[in-house]
Amino acid sequence: MTAVLRRRRVAVTALALFGAALALLMLRFGPTPSVAQASSHREAPLIANDPTADITDFYMFRSIQPGQADKVDLIMNVIPFQEPSGGPNYYNFDPSVVYTFHVDNNKNGTAGDVEFEFRFSNETRGIVNDAGLPLAYVALPPITSLSGPGSEGLGVRQRYSLTMIKDGHRIPISPMTDKIAVPSNVGPRTMPDYDGLAGQGTYDLGGGIKVFAGQRDDPFFIDLGAAFDTLNLRSPGTDMLSGFNVNSIVLEVPAALLTRDHRSPSTTTQPKLGAYASTSRPRVTVRGGGDGHSHGHGHGGFVQVQRLANPLINELIIGTKDKDRWNSLEPQQESAFLDYYENPRLALALSLVFGAPVPATPRSDLENALLKYAPGDMRLSELLRLDVSSAPGASWPNGRKPADDVTDTAIQVVGGVAFAGAGDNVSANDKVLPNVFPYLASPWDGRNRVHLNP
Amino acid sequence: MKRPRSIVLATVAALAATVALGGGALRDSHSAGALAAVPADARAYTALGFRLQALERETGDPVYLTRSEHALRRALALASDDRAATSGLATLALSSHHFREALALGRKMLRLSPESAQAYGVIGDAELELGRYRLAFAAFDTMARLRPGLSSYARVSYARELLGDRGGAIAAMRLALEPAAASREDTAWTRVQLGKLFWSEGRVGEAAAEYRAALAVLPGHAPALDALAQVEAARGRAEEAITLERRALEAMPMPQFAAALGDLYSSAGKPRLARAQYARVRALDRRLAANDTKIDLDVALFDVDHGIRLSQALVLARRGRAQRPSIDGDDVLAWALARNGRCAEARAYSQHALRLGTRDAVKLFHRGMIERCLGNRGTARHHLGRALALNPHFSLLWGPVARKVLR
Repeated sequence: MTAVLRRRRVAVTALALFGAALALLMLRFGPTPSVAQASSHREAPLIANDPTADITDFYMFRSIQPGQADKVDLIMNVIPFQEPSGGPNYYNFDPSVVYTFHVDNNKNGTAGDVEFEFRFSNETRGIVNDAGLPLAYVALPPITSLSGPGSEGLGVRQRYSLTMIKDGHRIPISPMTDKIAVPSNVGPRTMPDYDGLAGQGTYDLGGGIKVFAGQRDDPFFIDLGAAFDTLNLRSPGTDMLSGFNVNSIVLEVPAALLTRDHRSPSTTTQPKLGAYASTSRPRVTVRGGGDGHSHGHGHGGFVQVQRLANPLINELIIGTKDKDRWNSLEPQQESAFLDYYENPRLALALSLVFGAPVPATPRSDLENALLKYAPGDMRLSELLRLDVSSAPGASWPNGRKPADDVTDTAIQVVGGVAFAGAGDNVSANDKVLPNVFPYLASPWDGRNRVHLNP
Repeated sequence: MKRPRSIVLATVAALAATVALGGGALRDSHSAGALAAVPADARAYTALGFRLQALERETGDPVYLTRSEHALRRALALASDDRAATSGLATLALSSHHFREALALGRKMLRLSPESAQAYGVIGDAELELGRYRLAFAAFDTMARLRPGLSSYARVSYARELLGDRGGAIAAMRLALEPAAASREDTAWTRVQLGKLFWSEGRVGEAAAEYRAALAVLPGHAPALDALAQVEAARGRAEEAITLERRALEAMPMPQFAAALGDLYSSAGKPRLARAQYARVRALDRRLAANDTKIDLDVALFDVDHGIRLSQALVLARRGRAQRPSIDGDDVLAWALARNGRCAEARAYSQHALRLGTRDAVKLFHRGMIERCLGNRGTARHHLGRALALNPHFSLLWGPVARKVLR
């Protein structure tokens, strides 16, 4: 009996994981571009990957760094599945994309109360530019600095600006001058002290605000490979995203900058925040102009490419046929997709296949957990919610930290009581996640990361 | 519960196979939650259909289009509302110039997936070739709102080019470069398009820089070699031009590359070599036609340009325009009528071909020659002058003719 139950548990988990795996692969790899050649009429690609605007994960949590409990951290990761050796150009943020964190602090579901906008600019420079080398980075001399002596080999350099938008007013926090994004980790000859370099790219902007933009290890963990091998799960599982990097934007601000009453976590009377991350590209129409030259003139000139709040919503809840529409709408328009929450297809598949009981539909529990601040809330909005008065260390769905095992949580929540304790046997990232800013691990280096089994 | 479980497990296996096959269909496969809905074989046929289209792109061999169509039709026979198979057939219909069919498939895509950016792309592409520009541009605007990026920016760029807004076309294509940066194939394609925008207004140096940038990211990219050959020819370097065009043709046996090579030989005073290439154009055209690609308009233009079987070319042009009632259809029919001496009739079509305000040297040249044929010397000089001012290198064959008339 116990064995049977255990087997069922494994199978159930496998299916759920398979769903997650498939969805993640769909989102992370996407289709190949289709530029047809065969004919004389003008053919443009119909679908193309857009990794620089592709958000893999969004995090928001009360700082877990000792002594920093009055801070809130926001993280967005983009450019999925970075192969560390992916030269010669490696991985950069996109100067034509606006990367934005949006926060709702008055529980009306519209996350436009406080926003933080990151924009990047590219510069080709140094020995790479002078000598016309086909490499982005070169150890001539080794890169030990983001600027000045020791930065000569940094052939491509990205600067970025940070603007806060509070109740509609644009407040420049940091101009496009001295903040430099940390480049991809090429290897020890080119970048002999990568962590030192990354340290230089961690900026204290004063007023309790810190920023980091650059490459990090992908902190998401899941055993995709075992699920795909016809549900060949194992214990312990293997983190299929191990050894891959992402580009991260990490922002730490005093919680008082976010709360409605400008008070700290311990004194605020409005501790509940909702937030999401988005990427946008310039809005272009056939006759209406729009060419990306209106940089910095607000969001009006841009259109959302992707949004992300809670993990796995885009993958497990929203149907593929509605992905474009979902991404083009705002979180407060989520009622258009209510059916997906009330009748989650993952739960349906679980009960169909394994006969395991799942909660009855319509699933008001998912609706309450993901779309509302409280069950009585009438304004549905898909936001990552955080009660900043909770002790630091709270886990998703009360905020989300990089270390949270969201795959297990999602299976348990969607599956209901019968799936309590289910999981993929991968419960931590392959690299240790630091509990100090920027809270993400150093990226794998291009020379030493290998694809050999132990 | 045995039966559903086995079905789902089979689906799981088939999905894993789909991934192994290359994953082209994955994005549009039904997502994880709806596992039980579609028979496994439909997925496998869809994946095969996509893979065969990729092979066509790599080799230029149109037989893969036919084989892809067979695979996708079998997929739809098993699952008539499969979104991936439908979009694969739509792409195929566009590639083989079956624009009315593409439009119907695009509408079906939209029904299966409301507000799909891809569906709007298919609909816009088809409407454009069917000459319904207002509808095409609206579809592109919707696509760019739903998913701003390479695919939609490139379409907006093309629409602006058709409207004569070259600055806007260049700006939109430049914007497409950033999202294209993730893929070498996309970057090369976008660079070539940008280069052609420069080229079409005579900015030869800037065009050449884009073509070379395309070749730097994707060495041997045939469209870039072909375009660079035109640059070398414009600069009077016939040998270099011929070498580049031959390389393009070797990389990808397209009739338009063979035609360009023939023209290069012809203007270099090598008529025998030119004739060999023109014969090759015929052979490649036959192969396209044998695989059900509608090329009447293209064949008509080639024949009219090269003075081959002019009355037959006019029949082809009429048929081609019926398939593709776009400004290109109007222009080719106008030119075919004019070369058959029916200039009064030709004039109306030529005017219609320029109705969007497109600044296209070839169409302006045709217009000028038709006016000349009608004895309107002033109007003729005006249009020929505009063509040459726009792009003095617009045609190896006709550039010298335009210059001679103007002298």
